[in-house]
Amino acid sequence: MDSRKNGEVNISSEMDIITARKAVRQVAVEIGFSLTDVTRIVTSASELARNIVTYAEKGVMSWRKINGMEGKGIEITFTDKGPGIPDIAEAETPGFSSGKGLGMGLSGAKRLMGELDIESEKGQGTKVTVRKWLKRYHAERSLGA
Amino acid sequence: MPEENISVIRVRDKLLVTIPPDPDDRTISLLQEKVLGAMEQSEALGLVLDVSMVETLDSYFARTIVETTDMVSMMGGSTVIAGMQPMVAITVTQLGLSLGRTMAALDVDRALDLLNEMNIGDQHG
Repeated sequence: MDSRKNGEVNISSEMDIITARKAVRQVAVEIGFSLTDVTRIVTSASELARNIVTYAEKGVMSWRKINGMEGKGIEITFTDKGPGIPDIAEAETPGFSSGKGLGMGLSGAKRLMGELDIESEKGQGTKVTVRKWLKRYHAERSLGA
Repeated sequence: MPEENISVIRVRDKLLVTIPPDPDDRTISLLQEKVLGAMEQSEALGLVLDVSMVETLDSYFARTIVETTDMVSMMGGSTVIAGMQPMVAITVTQLGLSLGRTMAALDVDRALDLLNEMNIGDQHG
């Protein structure tokens, strides 16, 4: 029943954002995240996949189920060979945006997921990794339950 | 495929649009066009956007809602968002988004009441 441990979605159009969301939703539900956390994870994936379409045109989202000291979790990585982020600190600032978004992509995703790492080199591309851990009390305290 | 997912329904002199659970960008921008077109044709004064089925509301979607509200306002109408699910409200807020001056209501009934209270629509019975 617990199907795959990892997977990939190619991101090159706005339709792929929906595919990415669906993949991540399924994995997050499988791991056992609460509905609210599933929504947080899916929305973060949507923002970060959209960053790829907006800034790099194409890239890859890969996800994997992880296990750590804190228990189970999900890790999602967004990789592209786009222009890169010249100033990561600035790009993480809420409200900052050099594109068509509202500048909520990175700072918002960090808030929603808990952990966010960026590796980027100008002209080489960008790799954004987000992680969320399934905390035990979160599993029990799902919304409306 | 997206087109048939959205229908704009006229309820007396207001418009009611139910947004599908996981709309893509095209569906969302199509929705905006349809709503504005329907506003003109039906001479509606109020618009209710029923988001009760929506599971993912990201920054693009939120921006389009705010934009649509502003456009409807320029045409002389008022917009109320109805029925946002708690998990969506939590996520949108934590993402750092706001719906600007867009009014909101718990459900469609209350949204219609809100528009009525503002003396929008139903003026000729």
